[in-house]
Amino acid sequence: MSRVVPRPFSLLAEVTHRCPLHCPYCSNPLELAAREGELGTEDWKRVLNEGAELGILHVGFSGGEPLQRGDLAELVATAREAGLYSNLITSSLGLTRQRAEELKRAGLDSVQISFQADEETLADNIAGATAHRKKIEAAHMVRELGFPLTINVVLHRANIDRLEKIIALAEQLSAERLELANSQYYGWAFKNRAALLPTRAQIETATQLARAAKERLFGKMEILFVIPDYYSDRPKPCMHGWGNRHLTVNPTGDVLPCPTSGEIRGLRFDNVRQKSLRWIWSESEAFNRFRGTEWMPEPCQSCEFREIDFGGCRCQAALLTGDAAVTDPTCALSPYRERLTKFLGELPELEKLPEWDYRGLSIVKQ
Amino acid sequence: MQTLLPDARPKLSARARLQTDKVTGKPILLYPEGVLVLNSTGHAIVSLCDGKLTLQEMTAKLTGNFKAGNPEQISADVAQYLNALRARNLLDLLSEPPN
Repeated sequence: MSRVVPRPFSLLAEVTHRCPLHCPYCSNPLELAAREGELGTEDWKRVLNEGAELGILHVGFSGGEPLQRGDLAELVATAREAGLYSNLITSSLGLTRQRAEELKRAGLDSVQISFQADEETLADNIAGATAHRKKIEAAHMVRELGFPLTINVVLHRANIDRLEKIIALAEQLSAERLELANSQYYGWAFKNRAALLPTRAQIETATQLARAAKERLFGKMEILFVIPDYYSDRPKPCMHGWGNRHLTVNPTGDVLPCPTSGEIRGLRFDNVRQKSLRWIWSESEAFNRFRGTEWMPEPCQSCEFREIDFGGCRCQAALLTGDAAVTDPTCALSPYRERLTKFLGELPELEKLPEWDYRGLSIVKQ
Repeated sequence: MQTLLPDARPKLSARARLQTDKVTGKPILLYPEGVLVLNSTGHAIVSLCDGKLTLQEMTAKLTGNFKAGNPEQISADVAQYLNALRARNLLDLLSEPPN
């Protein structure tokens, strides 16, 4: 069968799953890769060069915590030489001045630091670690060194009501971009979704506040606000289509159409230790499985939005229905939408919220 | 929202990197989480955002470069491009030229 293979634009390099934080909304899989299984430096350098040859323009170094890898600056330098625009997606734990200067010299283009809240007690409680104060220091240092700074805050039931203070913190830290990204329910977040999902009223208030801030800070700070798609009538155009613009390489070298697709049962993913990135992108079974519109069932197949939202998210379809090949259940036209609406109607009251299951910890909070 | 005044000196932000796309040979502007593919007008506009020229001077220069285009159209193109850059926070507006 002949088909036009699109050009990928971005690569998420998940260089490790190791992380000093234990956020309950982490999108990493429940089974985290051990250090021993991680790809080595030479393999990662090859991936970056092959990615640039394929047309990729952006690389995000992510994880886990990418600073856990001692060879990060070497990888950043390779990305720079290949003409890629690099972004460090970090908790900032481990970002000493020396390390930041080393990354600057290697050609790192921008830094994205996660924050869990605007104040220490809540933030550290969410992270399951002592982190907030270090993050503030790191953010100042990053700006002093002249890096563009993005702040990313994952929003959920416990912090969304503090949105104004969160925005004020980003302003104080002179962030140039602020991502207010409601948790999306995959991996650890899916496990914790009853405790994390905000109420509709919370989402409505937050949407208005974000809109006002966006207007007020136009030209000063770019603000992205993402709602949880459970509250949407239309599915998100996940990854702008499967195998269309993006690929993720996970710590062990599996190449995935999106960071969470490794959890879809029944799909086999190829690995950069055995195959070239070009082959995996254009030829592999996993990348072609949901590429384009031919795979779509009804109601997607005859829908006028099929090339706008691409049928939504395959991982979400798999998580909520057991079948990755059906319409994303967030869509009002999905036969499974009712189940999701029922779940939203049964969210626990604030005082009855279940405890979080922290990422990578089996500790039960007292 | 700050209005784009004729005496403002637009300077491309340090967040953005102008380079040539290996695949298409076209000029592109890379920035966190995004890319703009520039046409020849866009490339000419972005290349002049060095913080030295005022908006007025930029437009005059571009009108000279594109003799075929009408000045009003060029002026509108410049405003449209600069606003697209501002929406992504990729433009600093200086009041004085840099040293």
